[in-house]
Amino acid sequence: MSHWSDTLPVPSGQRRDQVPRGHSIYPQLLEITLHLRQAMREHFVQLTSRQGLSLEERRHTQAIREKEALLSCLICRMINLLQSEATSDLELQVPLPSEDSRGDVRYGQRAQLSGQPDPVPQLSDCEAAFVSRDLSNRGIDISVFYQSSFQDYNAYQKDKYHKDKNTLGFINLGTSENKLCMDLMTERLQERDMNCIEDALLQYPDWRGQPFLREEVARFLTYYCRASTQLDPENVVVLNGCCSVFSALAMVLCDPGEAFLVPAPFYGGFAFSSRLYAKVELIPVYLESEVTVTNTQPFQLTVDKLEEALLEARFEGKKVRGLVLINPQNPVGDIYSPDSLMKYLEFAKRYNLHVIIDEIYMLSVFDESVTFHSVLSMKSLPDRNRTHVIWGTSKDFGISGFRFGALYTHNKEVVSAVSAFGYLHSISGIAQHKLCQLLQNTEWIDKVYLPTNCYRLQEAHKYITAKLKALEIPFHNSSSGLYVWINLKKYLDPCTFEEERLLYCRFLDNKLLLSRGKAYMCKEPGWFCLIFADELPRLKLAMRRFCDVLQEQKEALIVKQLEDAMRE
Amino acid sequence: MRRPPRVEMFTLPQKDFSAPTTCLGPTCMQDLGSSHGDDLEGECSRKLDQKLPELPGGIINLGVSENKLCFDLLSWRLSQSDMQRVEPSLLQYADWRGHLFLREEVAKFLSFYCKSPAPLRPENVVVLNGGASLFSALATVLCEAGEAFLIPTPYYGAITQHVCLYGNVRLAYVYLDSEVTGLDTRPFQLTVEKLEMALREAHSEGVKVKGLILINPQNPLGDIYSPEELQEYLVFAKRHKLHVIVDEVYMLSVFEESVGYRSVLSLESSVLPLFPCRALCRLPDPQRTHVMWATSKDFGMSGLRFGTLYTENQDVATAVASLCRYHGLSGLVQYQMAQLLRDRDWINQVYLPENHARLKAAHTYVSEELRALGIPFLSRGAGFFIWVDLRKYLPKGTFEEEMLLWRRFLDNKVLLSFGKAFECKEPGWFRFVFSDQAHRLCLGMQRVRQVLAGKSQVAEDPAPSQSQEPSDQRR
Repeated sequence: MSHWSDTLPVPSGQRRDQVPRGHSIYPQLLEITLHLRQAMREHFVQLTSRQGLSLEERRHTQAIREKEALLSCLICRMINLLQSEATSDLELQVPLPSEDSRGDVRYGQRAQLSGQPDPVPQLSDCEAAFVSRDLSNRGIDISVFYQSSFQDYNAYQKDKYHKDKNTLGFINLGTSENKLCMDLMTERLQERDMNCIEDALLQYPDWRGQPFLREEVARFLTYYCRASTQLDPENVVVLNGCCSVFSALAMVLCDPGEAFLVPAPFYGGFAFSSRLYAKVELIPVYLESEVTVTNTQPFQLTVDKLEEALLEARFEGKKVRGLVLINPQNPVGDIYSPDSLMKYLEFAKRYNLHVIIDEIYMLSVFDESVTFHSVLSMKSLPDRNRTHVIWGTSKDFGISGFRFGALYTHNKEVVSAVSAFGYLHSISGIAQHKLCQLLQNTEWIDKVYLPTNCYRLQEAHKYITAKLKALEIPFHNSSSGLYVWINLKKYLDPCTFEEERLLYCRFLDNKLLLSRGKAYMCKEPGWFCLIFADELPRLKLAMRRFCDVLQEQKEALIVKQLEDAMRE
Repeated sequence: MRRPPRVEMFTLPQKDFSAPTTCLGPTCMQDLGSSHGDDLEGECSRKLDQKLPELPGGIINLGVSENKLCFDLLSWRLSQSDMQRVEPSLLQYADWRGHLFLREEVAKFLSFYCKSPAPLRPENVVVLNGGASLFSALATVLCEAGEAFLIPTPYYGAITQHVCLYGNVRLAYVYLDSEVTGLDTRPFQLTVEKLEMALREAHSEGVKVKGLILINPQNPLGDIYSPEELQEYLVFAKRHKLHVIVDEVYMLSVFEESVGYRSVLSLESSVLPLFPCRALCRLPDPQRTHVMWATSKDFGMSGLRFGTLYTENQDVATAVASLCRYHGLSGLVQYQMAQLLRDRDWINQVYLPENHARLKAAHTYVSEELRALGIPFLSRGAGFFIWVDLRKYLPKGTFEEEMLLWRRFLDNKVLLSFGKAFECKEPGWFRFVFSDQAHRLCLGMQRVRQVLAGKSQVAEDPAPSQSQEPSDQRR
């Protein structure tokens, strides 16, 4: 044992003879590994901060960064193991940093990338792994994955803009929420019929959802999806949100490691829902913005592309179990025509794929010249037993905090398997009653809520698109949803995901939260998603910040180009 | 009667959520296999028993652990005007750990009712839609698939499914006996020796144990762990670096004051003078001690879906919160819960005294009935149930007979839970839930008497293959 410490460098000035006898090597190993990690980190910073200009070099940098992530993850696990041994041997309590002391990954990386020396050692994503010797590996994965994706959102939650109390706070145009009809919803939910406390609501429910609510959902969907025949409450499962429905579906349709095809760009939340519990992979079917002979519309999904993606996935040995479609699309905001929808469904049937159709924006179609066709309105589905529809109130009624999502499927096996997860995703009886009342009141929905919501979406959309036009920013003109998909390529030089990320950070520094294309698995760097379903004053301020950032970015680009020119 | 649904169709992967094969022991698979036994417990009993007394032929449910004694108080409280507030922030995405205002209320509430030596902190609170979700999330973030938690049996059997369904985590049983032997002072006593033995056994079978689950007050025994015992178990867990999940979902349902219940959150280092050096540690291993509480039992609102985790381990709290996306509860309900928990006056002066009085009365009634029948039972004044020894009604003392007896009860329209569902080692134990309205309770006990007297006018027992086992997903 001793020759180990002779040959290995002992950090922090500790000499071998200082190690008390009878103690194991773990604490030492731990310290060496910590040292190693530090060295590795510095090395990688050096490697990646040497920014070349060619695409080749940038790819190289990207690859190095991926390797770094992998290595540091491995090292973290090692440290985890060592630490548990070390502490058990020495009763040495490594102080656990409090949550606040955890560094901000993004800023850390940024500082490193922009070549600024960083006096404080930056904690990476895997730092979470380092301190969490108490978690399982998958627990660490979940935690790290979640935190790295949501830290900006959490920053926003802690520092929200308020017109009186916090004028410098974050404005969030990155989370798809409809804040335009809060007045209507608040009023509606305070009405008398909402408040009912019955014994049955306080007792254990049917885990698929209370029968009265499932009946109401079936009736509601029959009406608003224009179903050809009355939908059956027995085919409905209600859970606390569409992500729960998606998670449970992924769980019952796939074994871990199996995959779904998803046209990309797509709503990034699915990435969590498929990964956190179910460990199902999402394989992007990449769509392009450019219009060509075969691509008659930007971001057009074709059966050829589906075929190709499936073939490629199979070639790589992946087992594809289904296809996920979002209609109206998120983030592109288009609607699939009944014809193309039929083609996708037939494609799926040909390969025995399940189709999960997320129609969560079905009542948020604000362009009156466009008609949305729900898959439930189709007279005959190619493969009824493998078609599963998701809908919820989060977007169409702007109540994401209410936690309600519904599954409609003809497949009884799927109903019963998803129901088995019901008690882990259940909705409070009191909330179920309110939802039932809400959905029941078709008159209010048709005469008050929907027209108002539609009008307000139109107005907000008009405002934001006018702004974008004035800024000469190309965007995808959508007819539905709460967002516009905008193209900021011209602000990126070179046009890479790294530059996209830096621009995203610049927005963030100016207290504006947006979503970037990468989060939607978009193939082309430079796209951003802008959520416009917010009140006008906030939207105006957000757009002011938006303009400022782009101005800043433009100036930075000019400086950079000048510098480059001088160097040459 | 419905058969447990099985996922067998070719379109689904060969996963059977009714019977995860990774759980230890064939018996637990059977329990899971009949997870839809709650269709029986839930649907038919709900449909029928609520119609009583209009429908005297309905099933009386003494099997599901719900407190039906205080709906009047609760619906009054929940209908008050302070409950009806609707604010935009409640309708929007929020912190997945739960709204801060609620976590603050939970921290205050637990500090007060658990008598914590120092105020508990809202950062350590995570709010979810019920205890089941919490078990699921904790199992996932603390264990790898296939690893296990120790749990003393008999225990609330649904936990098997909670930790297995998503997490694929097993339970390793610490079997307890009704017989008082050796150093034991009472039936079904948990000791460190038994814990050690079970741990060794699991290891020898190649099962990696990551933690220990303790339910205190206990379900189904209706007993509590003394602070000294609790401390011993916690020291045991620390010695083996095990997490301890302490489920205190019945903590306010201790209706006999003399029992002297103490929450694990009230423990101080002074309890056990052996460890005075850990001045900062109130518990042997606070970083690995995770406490659960919910309103399902103590406030008799199992349909409300509110549960909470208290842990000083920020990594665990954060990891659980990462999963809360799937276990969130409505903002409006979060607001109502905060209002409820902060109303200390109503809780202390109205709700708790009344609830305890009613629980005590119901308990007295059922235990008197049992005494009159000469049936032994265990119950020390906590929880909603009495652990009843019906072994003398099983001539051969087998689980088949236990099942047949359960069947006979059911055929005579009274639903009970049998010991096997709690993984009890000895056939013949039943759990009677007494927290129900008097008229239903009387009718239920009358039917129990009929069955035990052999007077139930029911056809002979069906073949075992047709029998359906209940599970106790609803505790």
